[in-house]
Amino acid sequence: MQQPLWLCSCVLSVCACAAQPEAENPVTETAAPTPAQTEAAPAEKPSITLTLWGSELPEFQAALRTMCDNFIAANANEANITIEIGAQSESTAKDTILLDISAAADVFYYADDQTGELVNAGALQPVENADAIAAANGGAEAGAVLAATVGGKLYAYPAMGGNGYFLYYNKQYVTAEQAGSWAGILEAASAAGKKATMQLNSGWYLYGFFKGAGFGCALAEDGTSTTCDWNTTGGTDVMQAILDVSTNPGFINLDDAAFVTGVQEGTVVAGVNGSWNAGTVQTAWGENYACTKLPTFTLGGSEVQMGSFDGYKLVGVNAYSENVGWAMRLAEWLTNEENQIFLYEATNGSAVPSNVNAASSESVQANPVVAALATQSQFASAQSLSVGGNYWTPTETLGNILAQGNPDGTALQQLLDETVAGITAPVG
Amino acid sequence: MKKTRHVNPKRLAGDVVRHLVLFALAVVWLVPIVWLVCTSFSSNPGRNILRFFPESLTLSNYARLFTDTDSVSNFPAWFTNTFIVACFTCVISTLFVLMVAYATSCMRFRGRRVLMNVGVLLGLFPGFLTMICIYYILKELKLTDTHLGLILVYAGSSGLGYLIAKGFFDTISRSMIDAAKLDGASEAEVFWKVILPLSKPIIVYTIISSFLTPWMDFIFSNIIIKSRLSEDWTVAVGLFNMLNKSSVNNYFSRFCAGGVLVSIPISVLFVIMQKFYVEGVTGGSVKG
Repeated sequence: MQQPLWLCSCVLSVCACAAQPEAENPVTETAAPTPAQTEAAPAEKPSITLTLWGSELPEFQAALRTMCDNFIAANANEANITIEIGAQSESTAKDTILLDISAAADVFYYADDQTGELVNAGALQPVENADAIAAANGGAEAGAVLAATVGGKLYAYPAMGGNGYFLYYNKQYVTAEQAGSWAGILEAASAAGKKATMQLNSGWYLYGFFKGAGFGCALAEDGTSTTCDWNTTGGTDVMQAILDVSTNPGFINLDDAAFVTGVQEGTVVAGVNGSWNAGTVQTAWGENYACTKLPTFTLGGSEVQMGSFDGYKLVGVNAYSENVGWAMRLAEWLTNEENQIFLYEATNGSAVPSNVNAASSESVQANPVVAALATQSQFASAQSLSVGGNYWTPTETLGNILAQGNPDGTALQQLLDETVAGITAPVG
Repeated sequence: MKKTRHVNPKRLAGDVVRHLVLFALAVVWLVPIVWLVCTSFSSNPGRNILRFFPESLTLSNYARLFTDTDSVSNFPAWFTNTFIVACFTCVISTLFVLMVAYATSCMRFRGRRVLMNVGVLLGLFPGFLTMICIYYILKELKLTDTHLGLILVYAGSSGLGYLIAKGFFDTISRSMIDAAKLDGASEAEVFWKVILPLSKPIIVYTIISSFLTPWMDFIFSNIIIKSRLSEDWTVAVGLFNMLNKSSVNNYFSRFCAGGVLVSIPISVLFVIMQKFYVEGVTGGSVKG
């Protein structure tokens, strides 16, 4: 199942060697060996043609063009570079690339859940100066770096973080204090005759309750199956807590499209969703637009913070590229501190930096979505490291039952056992 | 005694039930189309699943399809690309189909039966089974991302769809062909000067179906067009890419407008050729 994978917030940082502002001293920022250095005489510069695939949105494309033009100018004394930019959504990059790797772009943006398959297919060129890249993005244990690492080897350049979810709320109906807990949100929504929403019938969102209660999922050793402990002691309490939310008259279970519609129609005053809808929600709510970390929920009488999934976008270099050296330099250039901030600003905040320094810059911190995601990230785990292929269908089924308030009255433990059996079934 | 027209209540009930069923089917069939047309006039650029009819109407979705071209939407280029491919495919595959039909219907040669059977058998396999193979062949020939590549793929195997046209040609009297041959006409002359003038309905039918295949195809164009530049796509590929999660909130009503526009050339073709179309299909199926 393809999960929403847009936009981002997060953490992570600056690479000393990639961080030079463009025209200053272009030669010093060399990371990978290049054909230019080995064979080109000063008089005869090689002609290099690169293809870059990035998000199809016009503002992304324009920003990519600017960054590429700067890259070309910065390296003008070494090579005549031409860069062709194509529109390829990050979330479906893998599908297009794996069809024919040799015909794919030299450098491409993709979502982190595709790292494993791209590496298995031999499509990704390992990063050479991995330590510097990892350090710039928060170290080897940072989510964005782990999401690009397979078998201890870094395969991609972290570009954006924060592909997770958080709470949107309308200040006209919900106070900041009420937005801190499901009880407060639901009370406010009921009082106003409106609804608070979250898509329970999606494993992506449903995970938040279990994660918050301390339960976990992890990729099994085979890299594709999932281990899960939701049905151990206490799991049914989480189920009951979700039922308490879903059966509240102030709650409605809505999918992504319905959430957007509800916000525009004014029927939804609070909802759990991701940054890809930030612009739409802000337009609809105007001054009353607000967002924050996910709320707490009542578990066995005490308040527990919801957890969440986090996701990243990465820049990969095609292992079949004819100009791997230049492709790696371009990938590093696109993901350096300055360019992450530039992309963030050029896309009105949708490209949340993964670079630590870029993420802590003033303009990034001023954005409410980034602030919400940054706070939530303490309670989040990377989706690509947590769950494998069989996670999605059983959790969707469970979510459907919970969203309807368990109409058949099935024993909660039995529901959990069935779900976990489905999740942990070996893939293949 | 005065004779009154008596309505059999049983029969009346049957009629009512039949018409209710037909009405229900018509609704099921028409609702998505009506919705598509309505949404294409919506002033909300994204999706609104709570309303069937948009809140306010505008023509701007249609206008923007042609004026606002960017990395997501480039309808004029898509329309041109698709139109070029469809026109060339239409001419080539119409010729192929009619010639194969003529050869199998009017000529007698060794292996004719076997050839026909093999043709029918091959036609039973869905074309996309071969798409990966076709992609790599075209790639070796450097024909991916080209109009020519698409035209070759669409027109290449079109001769296999000869059965209906053959059925029509079978209805033309053998004695006319024999007479022409006695007068010294070659096979080509018989085909062009005797058979074709008598076969207007089936020609029209073949033209329409040959045009529709490339016009509506998504599978092959999505595979063969590897370019990620929006001006290189066909209508089907371009419209599909509009529905990405990150773009759908801004492009959905334009997607619907595009969907409506795509149907216009097909509708025009149908209206003009409708009369022949019906004759062609029924005539062709007498013996086919």
